[in-house]
Amino acid sequence: MATTANFDSDDEEFYGEMASIGSPKFDTILTGSPLNNGSVPRGFTMLAIGNQGAGMDLFAKQFAAVAEDSENTILVSTAESQAEILSLYKRYDWPTDIMVRTMGEEYNQNVLERDLQASKFRLEGFSMEDIQRLAQTRFVENEVHDYLTDLTSQMTSLPQYFRAAVDNLDFFFARNDTSRVISMLRMIQAHTQLQRGVLLLNVSSDMVDKSVERQLYAICDIVMEFEVGMLGTDFETRMVIRKFRNGPENLKAISFRVTKDEAITPETVDRIA
Amino acid sequence: MMPSAHYQRDRCVTGITGLDEILRGGIPYGSTVLVAGTCGSGKTTLCMEFLTNGARNGEACAHFSATEPSVKLLENVRQFDFFDMRMVDQGLINVFDMDVLFSWLGMTKSTFELSDIDAMVKSITDIVNTIGVTRLVIDSVTTLCYKIPSEQLIRDFLFKLGKALATLGCTALLVSEITSSGAKAYWSSFGVEEAILDGIIVLGDVERMGHLLRFVQVVKMRGTSHARAKYALELTPKGVMLTPMLKWGAVND
Amino acid sequence: MIELDFGIAQQLAEEASPSSAIQVRVGTSNSELVIASMLQPLITEFGMRGVYICASRSATEVIQTMERVGIDTTGIQFIDSVSSGFIGGTEVPYPNIRFVDSPIMLESIMLQTLYHLGEKSDTGNFVILDSVNALSIYNEERMLAEYLHTFINTFRAREVLTGIINVPDQTPPGVLANLDLYCTDLIDRGQVVIH
Repeated sequence: MATTANFDSDDEEFYGEMASIGSPKFDTILTGSPLNNGSVPRGFTMLAIGNQGAGMDLFAKQFAAVAEDSENTILVSTAESQAEILSLYKRYDWPTDIMVRTMGEEYNQNVLERDLQASKFRLEGFSMEDIQRLAQTRFVENEVHDYLTDLTSQMTSLPQYFRAAVDNLDFFFARNDTSRVISMLRMIQAHTQLQRGVLLLNVSSDMVDKSVERQLYAICDIVMEFEVGMLGTDFETRMVIRKFRNGPENLKAISFRVTKDEAITPETVDRIA
Repeated sequence: MMPSAHYQRDRCVTGITGLDEILRGGIPYGSTVLVAGTCGSGKTTLCMEFLTNGARNGEACAHFSATEPSVKLLENVRQFDFFDMRMVDQGLINVFDMDVLFSWLGMTKSTFELSDIDAMVKSITDIVNTIGVTRLVIDSVTTLCYKIPSEQLIRDFLFKLGKALATLGCTALLVSEITSSGAKAYWSSFGVEEAILDGIIVLGDVERMGHLLRFVQVVKMRGTSHARAKYALELTPKGVMLTPMLKWGAVND
Repeated sequence: MIELDFGIAQQLAEEASPSSAIQVRVGTSNSELVIASMLQPLITEFGMRGVYICASRSATEVIQTMERVGIDTTGIQFIDSVSSGFIGGTEVPYPNIRFVDSPIMLESIMLQTLYHLGEKSDTGNFVILDSVNALSIYNEERMLAEYLHTFINTFRAREVLTGIINVPDQTPPGVLANLDLYCTDLIDRGQVVIH
């Protein structure tokens, strides 16, 4: 991994020092403004933490949809399929040519396929072709793929000014030792900082304990807690910015709603209780 | 129980110099025999020679390797003149890695359940039945039994396997690793194999003035009379060779 | 230069058969001569191939001695049970030597011999055991007697001519008695012991 980076002046001019958080209205509420290209300093890693159903997965897609350069933008999803993501992107008229990696789908396919094959052999037995293949197979095939290393490798190979979103880290915490996940995230964060990328990481609050939460808070430059609660008969969703490195004025709670046109957008009208 | 002098069971002739004489013609067809031995006693070589001699006669043979990778096994056995790699290429000797079989059957846990044992027996039986295997070696059954959590399940496994192989007319050698071949030795690691199986052939070492001499001894073989003395065993390029052990030789074990 | 004892060749030609077990008595100073005189006709005149079991001296020494006399030993397989007893003894330039760890491992010697004899040749095979006296250093009398009994019977059954070298006045009585009893022929160039 490189320890220094040289940046092209044209790129510096094009990308600027700030990146959009995913919505111009959010950018305006935070320190930046659309004129500055956004509210998130280039090189920042953001953490979105909250309960299921609080809107983090849509937020991640919206963040990726900014896609200053589609070829340099990646969305990693561990819970949805390519088809589902594509459908949503079309609904909001977001660019569909970004890189999308559905690790959850891949994992399910590999594991389920292996389990299905094993069941078939157990029930139906081996055909002559199976036996011949078995006699020629000297090594165990398809050892469990290390998706954490795969993620780290993919992220740390992204070029300068990349935009990436990982929805979500629960998949990796469930299958790997916590310390290993944290270690990999540090590497990814360092790469993001060095290459002036912007990175969003989602995690469910009930997936990690307090000590892991603290470590994630320490790694990330911006921490947003997503909350959903009942207000009367309606759901109220809000984002609480708990941490904003070098931007304490951005610590605030922002209520938001999901619209058909703008997806997650901050509410500008106060509710009358 | 001694066999009637008028009835002789059909024999699987091992082709191993001296062993067929000890067994009065060979192993009775369809028997499942425990080949129990200490480390380095020649179990794998004896079993491979058994298979190779069958393949030379046109029989389909199968080797299930659980202790060492088949790549290594084949590399080691190639040094012997009796072995011809073409037999493997032509499918006369089929070598299977047990860890590959386990992964194909989804047996990835550290211990086996009853369903896993049934799956293992069924898959071995399938292979024997489909190819028409008449000679089979499992090396070693000890490695498999370590994953079976109870003696009762081990007993079930061996009984089911032996019954299935006998029904299909397949003569099988199951290798067992033991730690001592002396007077106080068990012929099996788990204490149950020797009672279930049809025969027991023990390989080990006797110490004579600081030197170790390999020996083989047929302790049990159902369906035939057999010599019960110890025979000295030598591993030559031609394979296993046996000669009676001197009676007045040193007997330190 | 050793002058061979042609009487031995004559005796072999007139009296020995392919399944003969010959007790070859030698003295302490004429063993090389006797052995050479025996090997020469077996290899050259009768065209036999065979195995030489070395328990007295190393196979290298035997080969060099025979070569000095002009006997070609390339057709003989040597089983050397001596050289493993000292470090560096097995590093030899001859391809026709097999090593057994010790003269104690009598069964190994037997099996190696049987292996190297292989299939019966048309011109016959021979086995020379050199010598009983050396084996008696390492093996108890009863075991050695049993071994020789088995040895002789095994090779006689296979129609292999055996020559068993011994210095009679240094051979244990029980062993000597067995040799007298089971050997079919005697080449006597040793000192006769009268009990």
